[in-house]
Amino acid sequence: MPDSLDTSALGMPVELGQIGRDLKKLWDRDAGATTRASLINFAVHCEGSGTMSANTELIMELTREHACRAILICCEPTAPEARVRAWINAHCHLSRAGAKQICCEQISFLFEGDTQNRIANIVFSNLDSDLPLHLWWQGVFPDPIDEELWARVDRLIFDSQAWTSPRPQFTRLKDSLTHANSRLTLCDLNWTRSLHLRQALAQMFDHPENLDVLANLQTITIAHAPEYRSTAILLTGWFAAQLGLEFTRADGTGFIFQNAVGGDTRIAIKLEAGRSISRCELASDRGGVQMQRDAAGDFFRVEVRLPGDRTYHHLLPAGSNSTSSLLLEEIGGGGQHRVYLKALAAAEPLL
Amino acid sequence: MPQPCNVVIFGASGDLTYRKLIPALYNIAADGDLPAALSVVGFARREKSDDSFRAELKEAVGKHSRQGLNEELWESFSERLFYHRSEFGDLDGYKKLAERLDQLDAERNTGGNRLFYLSVAPSEFGGILEKLAEVGLNKARDGAWSRVIVEKPFGSDLPSAQELNTIVDTVFQEQDTYRIDHFLGKETAQNIMVLRFANSIFEPIWNSRYIDHVQITASEPLGVEARGPYYESSGALRDMVQNHLLQLLCLVAMEPPTDLKADSVRDEKVKVVRALRPMSPEEVGENVVRGQYAAGAINGKEVIAYRAEDRVSRESMTETYVALKVHVDNWRWADVPFYVRVGKRLPKGGTEIAVQFKNAPSVLFNKDAAAVGPNVLVIRIQPDEGISLRIQAKRPGAALRVEPVKMDFHYGTSFGKASPEAYERLLLDAMSGDATLFARRDEVEGAWRFIDRIEEAWHKNETPPPLCEYEAGSWGPTEADDLLARDGRAWRRM
Repeated sequence: MPDSLDTSALGMPVELGQIGRDLKKLWDRDAGATTRASLINFAVHCEGSGTMSANTELIMELTREHACRAILICCEPTAPEARVRAWINAHCHLSRAGAKQICCEQISFLFEGDTQNRIANIVFSNLDSDLPLHLWWQGVFPDPIDEELWARVDRLIFDSQAWTSPRPQFTRLKDSLTHANSRLTLCDLNWTRSLHLRQALAQMFDHPENLDVLANLQTITIAHAPEYRSTAILLTGWFAAQLGLEFTRADGTGFIFQNAVGGDTRIAIKLEAGRSISRCELASDRGGVQMQRDAAGDFFRVEVRLPGDRTYHHLLPAGSNSTSSLLLEEIGGGGQHRVYLKALAAAEPLL
Repeated sequence: MPQPCNVVIFGASGDLTYRKLIPALYNIAADGDLPAALSVVGFARREKSDDSFRAELKEAVGKHSRQGLNEELWESFSERLFYHRSEFGDLDGYKKLAERLDQLDAERNTGGNRLFYLSVAPSEFGGILEKLAEVGLNKARDGAWSRVIVEKPFGSDLPSAQELNTIVDTVFQEQDTYRIDHFLGKETAQNIMVLRFANSIFEPIWNSRYIDHVQITASEPLGVEARGPYYESSGALRDMVQNHLLQLLCLVAMEPPTDLKADSVRDEKVKVVRALRPMSPEEVGENVVRGQYAAGAINGKEVIAYRAEDRVSRESMTETYVALKVHVDNWRWADVPFYVRVGKRLPKGGTEIAVQFKNAPSVLFNKDAAAVGPNVLVIRIQPDEGISLRIQAKRPGAALRVEPVKMDFHYGTSFGKASPEAYERLLLDAMSGDATLFARRDEVEGAWRFIDRIEEAWHKNETPPPLCEYEAGSWGPTEADDLLARDGRAWRRM
């Protein structure tokens, strides 16, 4: 770990055993001018001390919309000395009323050397009581996972897009969670990434006339950017789960499913430059739907083709793919993500 | 109102005197509540003069007083402090004590009132009380009083508690006996009755119709420190549950007393103790989990296992953690379990009572029961004394999303003034003759009756339940989680 670690963004260094006392002092000092707010415990697990500043900025952005106690857990396992360091900080924003500042606290920990077995204890001892615990785990999961920690997490946020081998990661995750007797909600930012696309697509079929396209669906084409194959696979799983498609086989160009009427539906995944998912087309003998992300990336241009050469065009928001937007979307959206679990189950053979 | 008196502390060279008793008296003086005519006599074996005793106490007050140390006030306060050296079994020492107290009565106009504080091991109680009786210090003069404060542990089981009570009762009357449980002196413990009986919104729902269960937790990150030998002979159940936690349970579960007189309140608490469902050895196996900490980490530092602690047996079977499912068999609490847990080397220190209400009906917002949690009223006894209520609220936005939010009341911020230490309140009450916050003989013995059955199942049973290991720094053994999981519940997150 570099000796020159810039900790200025992390706030005031504190002793591990005195965090509660020092936070209280922090608030007592500004009593009257600020209000401490917290609706969740938001823990962020990251690797490498160099990521702490960037994560702090992300947390600050998040606290504008979601009042929380943020706990940044950064691991530097290769550091020569085994020690844990801590800092406290406050992120304050003017309230809508403008009178008082609304502040959220951030506690940052740097676990250096072989100290990662102390994470659970330190997180537990610094939680805001009775509030849900959201844990954002950046990168790949450890093997084995810390069962005690995960058994107490309410929402586990991760991004499967960052995994080079998603299948073993998902398998490890599922096995570990079963073993840890955890009832946490899985929140995959890779799933959130396709939220606007899924919403836009679903919206196309609110009109009963368009449902014929789905009933006779023959091909689905998904175009994804080079690093977003897993996003496309999850989307494929969503189609399969929601349309009741049974995976039968894969060939060089995509996956073949048996549809509800016994026919074949092919889902082709294509690599194309552009945003994560730049294009999605559904085609049947009764028409089709084509969604294309526009060049700026802010909107989906949707074309619906129906029998009788009727064509309709729509412009729908595509959302942002930035990490902070995905996090805001995820934390603000909530829910049990049951559709995700169904989509994941359908996508597993394709990974 | 506290009355003029002489306070005699037996065991005055002990830790409690320095850390709690004298700082408490000093703080009462700083608040202007200490009777002008009051003196304190420290009674102990070690050789000390009044001056050296005062010098040591000054340092202790500087360290442990919540109001710090004011030189001017200390000068005035310290004039009331005296040291009396004697062996506990030396009758001559007590005769001299009686003379000295008479002299102080005359000099300081303390009116012949005496308050004896037994801050010594229970094995010393009998000898001290006997000697006090022999020199007549247990008998008050006309118009005066003579009281005794007894520190825990008050016995180690029912027979020993009964024996101690008999000894105390032969020397002092029950009305003059003050069995101290410092938890009852804490502001929030006192506030439980106010919360319940001074607010009209809680009492109508304070029953099995609306309450799902109650959790009482006392956790601390500390290990046994230097108390290994004591802890080896007591364990978490005797050290904490028999007294502190059952007292808190009584305050939560009791019926409204007819008035606020000491015996009216204690009558209601005793009824709760009597209603505790006794457990058979099999039921102890099902409803009680005992654990002992293994090595682990607290606040980023490696800590050793209990069995590796100083003066602790390497094969010790003493529990440092205990979790119980307790039933109060009366109309109000039918089928409402009280889950009680206490442990050392847990991640966070704190004592809290959480009253968890039943879920809203499974309609409207609560169709998906997992999505909407229950209301929880949390009474924080220590630290950061206060009360919080978890309710459900709609998150702003077009979508209907319900989220838990917390309404929080902190004593520290709401009232500005720091809460007095428990010992301050209890000493003042003892000087005032108010025994409401002290345990009565039948309460103590009733609690031991309940606890003894668990101890017997652990130690006098051919097939005792296992002693579960837990890693220091964790929230206790997984078996304790299972205890609630079997009922579809979970320990709340502190």
